[in-house]
Amino acid sequence: MKTLLSILGGLANVAIVLLVAPFFQGVLRKITALIQSRQGPPIWQPYFDLLKLLGKEDIESGESPLMQRFAVYLSLATVLTVACLVPMGFTAPMNAAGDVILLIYLLTLCGICTLLAGLAAGSTYSLLGASREMMTMIALEPLFAVAIVVGAVHTQSFRLDTVLNGSVYASAAFPWSGVIMFGVMLLSFQAFVQRVPFDISEAETEIMEGPLMEYSGPKLALFKYAQMAKLVIYSALFVTLFVPWGTGLMFPLGWLVFWAKVTGLVLLVTLVAATHARYRIDQAIRYFAALLAVALVALVLASYGY
Amino acid sequence: MSVLSKLKETLVCLKAGRVTLPYPAQAQPVPEKFRGRPLFDAAKCTGCGGCANNCPAREILLFDLCQEIRILQYLGRRCAYCGRCADVCPEKAITMSHEFETGTNSIGDIQQRVELFMSTCQRCGRCFKEPSALEQLKLKGYRVDDVAHERWVFRSKSYLDTEPVVDDIKIEMD
Amino acid sequence: MVAREKLNQLKEKFGGAVQRADMPCNERLFVFVEASALKAVCQYLFRDLDARYVISIGMDDRPFSGKFMVAHDFAFDQDHLLCSVLTHLPADNPKVDSISDVVPAANWAEREIRDLVGIEPVGHRYLKRLVLPDGWPDGVHPLRKDFAWNQVPEGYDDTREFKFDEPPEGCTVVPFGPFHPTLDEPAHFRLYIEGEMVRGCEYRGFMVHRGIEKLAESVLTYNEIPMMAERICGICGCVHNVAYAQAVESAAAIKPPPRAEYIRTIMLEIERLHSHLLWVGLACHIVGFDTLFMQSWRIREPLMWIAEKISGNRKTYALCVIGGVRWDITAEVKGELRKVLDKLESEWTPVVAAVSKDKNIQKRTRGIGVADRALVKNAGLVGPVARSAGVNMDCRRDHPYAAYDRLDFDVITENGCDVWSRVLVRAKEVFESIKIIRQCLEKMEDGPLQLTIKDELPVGRIGLSSVEAPRGESHHFVITGENNRPRRWRVRAPTYQNLQAIPAMIKDQQLADMTISLGSIDPCFSCTDRMETIDLKSGATKVWTQEELLKLTRTKKT
Repeated sequence: MKTLLSILGGLANVAIVLLVAPFFQGVLRKITALIQSRQGPPIWQPYFDLLKLLGKEDIESGESPLMQRFAVYLSLATVLTVACLVPMGFTAPMNAAGDVILLIYLLTLCGICTLLAGLAAGSTYSLLGASREMMTMIALEPLFAVAIVVGAVHTQSFRLDTVLNGSVYASAAFPWSGVIMFGVMLLSFQAFVQRVPFDISEAETEIMEGPLMEYSGPKLALFKYAQMAKLVIYSALFVTLFVPWGTGLMFPLGWLVFWAKVTGLVLLVTLVAATHARYRIDQAIRYFAALLAVALVALVLASYGY
Repeated sequence: MSVLSKLKETLVCLKAGRVTLPYPAQAQPVPEKFRGRPLFDAAKCTGCGGCANNCPAREILLFDLCQEIRILQYLGRRCAYCGRCADVCPEKAITMSHEFETGTNSIGDIQQRVELFMSTCQRCGRCFKEPSALEQLKLKGYRVDDVAHERWVFRSKSYLDTEPVVDDIKIEMD
Repeated sequence: MVAREKLNQLKEKFGGAVQRADMPCNERLFVFVEASALKAVCQYLFRDLDARYVISIGMDDRPFSGKFMVAHDFAFDQDHLLCSVLTHLPADNPKVDSISDVVPAANWAEREIRDLVGIEPVGHRYLKRLVLPDGWPDGVHPLRKDFAWNQVPEGYDDTREFKFDEPPEGCTVVPFGPFHPTLDEPAHFRLYIEGEMVRGCEYRGFMVHRGIEKLAESVLTYNEIPMMAERICGICGCVHNVAYAQAVESAAAIKPPPRAEYIRTIMLEIERLHSHLLWVGLACHIVGFDTLFMQSWRIREPLMWIAEKISGNRKTYALCVIGGVRWDITAEVKGELRKVLDKLESEWTPVVAAVSKDKNIQKRTRGIGVADRALVKNAGLVGPVARSAGVNMDCRRDHPYAAYDRLDFDVITENGCDVWSRVLVRAKEVFESIKIIRQCLEKMEDGPLQLTIKDELPVGRIGLSSVEAPRGESHHFVITGENNRPRRWRVRAPTYQNLQAIPAMIKDQQLADMTISLGSIDPCFSCTDRMETIDLKSGATKVWTQEELLKLTRTKKT
């Protein structure tokens, strides 16, 4: 019975993510339009976009079409698996199915999918995009791992529900490490959700969407869907890890507070994306490296109980 | 990151408000002098051919069907909407309208054809026109308008040979 | 007296090699020299007298003098003098000494002469085809007078492909263009990339020929050409329109009425304003900062409306005819224009204030796309690119035309030599333009708009005109001719020179900086390409069916 419930919970999570992801994308676009003095598309436009793309002809293109298809499926599947594990306003549903280490692996897998897609397309620009993605991944993924490990160290547990509940502040003394990681993650959040100024691996005006270049129709729709879902999932992760307050309230209230926080985070992402120019890959890597150094300091602090 | 300048930029943005118009539903009115699709008024036209001679895009053709019927045809294909035809028309028979949404599937919607009845000189029996200021800057000779095929045929060399010009029409390419 | 002084210097140095000279006014000098002395004269002008290279023109003069002609144009910016060195070449097998090793900026111009007129530049180090399409047969030169404007040459080979140079060792080739989101027009750069670093590139452009110059020489008439000249460029069209009219006027010694001159000045400045705002927007778009792109275009929009109100169109003003202008600026429009300018100033000031402190944009633009003084001199760079390298040069002040000699304005320079300096130069020039228009509105006198030209224009006279386009100097060269049309009309758009420096500017930079470096010269490929060749495709258009197109897009071409 318990297993069934947790599976149902996981599926519910997946459904929620699939449902609201385009909505958040719509919000993002509308707010961007507002900042840019435009009308902007209707808030439901991303749903129509996806439907339209899904209805288009499925074209085999690129160097190795099979790998390309695989990359897309893997990408969406990974994102949705993460969705099963991340608490969306309740505790993590599939608590027993994995721990935070699995979560870190899965998040890395998301990046690898982009890499695969770039390699599969085989054009010069997508290869450039893939190499940029690789560099970003190497510098970026440790940040999230450090944040989770800090939480795990504080709570002495790898359990999903324990760690993903503001665990970074759960130290005995004042949680210096948690505060530092909060800052670090906030400063690098834009890169995790691949928005300006860190959308370097896709940079439309430089390398023409890089890895996505050879994608069209349903495959592009799935990739875009995965990206939209990523925004929601990373926001949810960030909220559960760093802004846990209020989620523990009674059912509708706590749930609403959670989504309000997620929306707030999406708004922040939009605002930053709309007011920044894209960084160059070397500048971005230097920036991530500095953040990583700070994050390691936080890890050391965490291991000493701060 | 320069937070202050970012905030200033955001302020600039938000101060402007929303400026885009819901275009196809609601169009910005065009100003009085707007140069849209030229319209030809057959009642005013005297068939002098000033417009045809001054059209940079060669969009206006002139052709005499017989001694008394002159055809003026506006092709509407590559018109640059410069308004020179309206400028030079001595009778103000051409007006630049305010139409700018001229996209169409059939070119006939844009094209105009004016058939003119030319009166002839009682004495010599030929059409005549006194030399006007237009003659000063008109295209010199060597041009035949082929209304049937909607094209104008032109001498293909940029300078004159000493031989007669009769064969010119032979060299015709569109 | 500067013209005479320079002529005397030339005579002293070269003696009998200087055959003939024309000084129609104090600002123009035409020197005919012997073909054998051409290179030495150019070297003397460019290196010793420190003239700025403008352009080289080749023409087929056989129907008139029985010879070919080559002209090299130079400008003495401090002395307000435009100078043309001309030489005649024999009618059969014309050859001329290449000046490109003493004047590197002449590289393209000489290749173009070879392509289009068939005059062989002897001693040119890189004689690759520049302008003509790949399939064009060798030995057929479209700008020769015996080549009909609508002629399709025999032996045109659609399948022939352009041979690119071998990339240097260890580099991969990244094709950039002809279609790329940041290129608004087709042009192809073959980049040699090592990792993310650009080590070199080869350019293949001239893909948008429209045969405008050939048309002007063979079909159009004096007063029709301005409307076509305007269509050389979609951004600085009015510049070409005015420059052409002025070139013809200077050849025929016509002076338009003062009111016309003021109106030309106002329209040119409106165009500069809109172009600069457009450029700032595009530059921001290139570095991924779309919000400022939208805002800068929003600020620009009222300018387009006022231009529409004055001329009847947002962008193609169709302003000039020979000897005047077509549109008046009425008292009502004056008031409105003043309001637009006030609004523009009040909106642009905070944007400049915010952007000039923005570290984020500076990070992407500082030290990028460097073009220093030496490069400016050697490649003949013009406009904001030159001014951002501290070269104090502006045709509005140096070779005054229209009403600029009666106006007071500053030439903005910066010393950074990089993209950021170009951003600053353009952003500040906006204020100068506003100042200029305000002065014009104040000083504009009543009077006629057009001169009545009673006689035919004189034949065989040369006219030069330099107009400061938003991107730099646009130079028009006209020889008046018979049949109410010029014999030769050569347009040199600013991008023609600036683009030649791009390989030097992007060398040893990140690939990511390539787009903004290219963007920083405000490239206008249609200006550069104009022309001259004939649109071959119209002769034999192939209509692709949708299946064929789909197949084409789906099969990978190796």
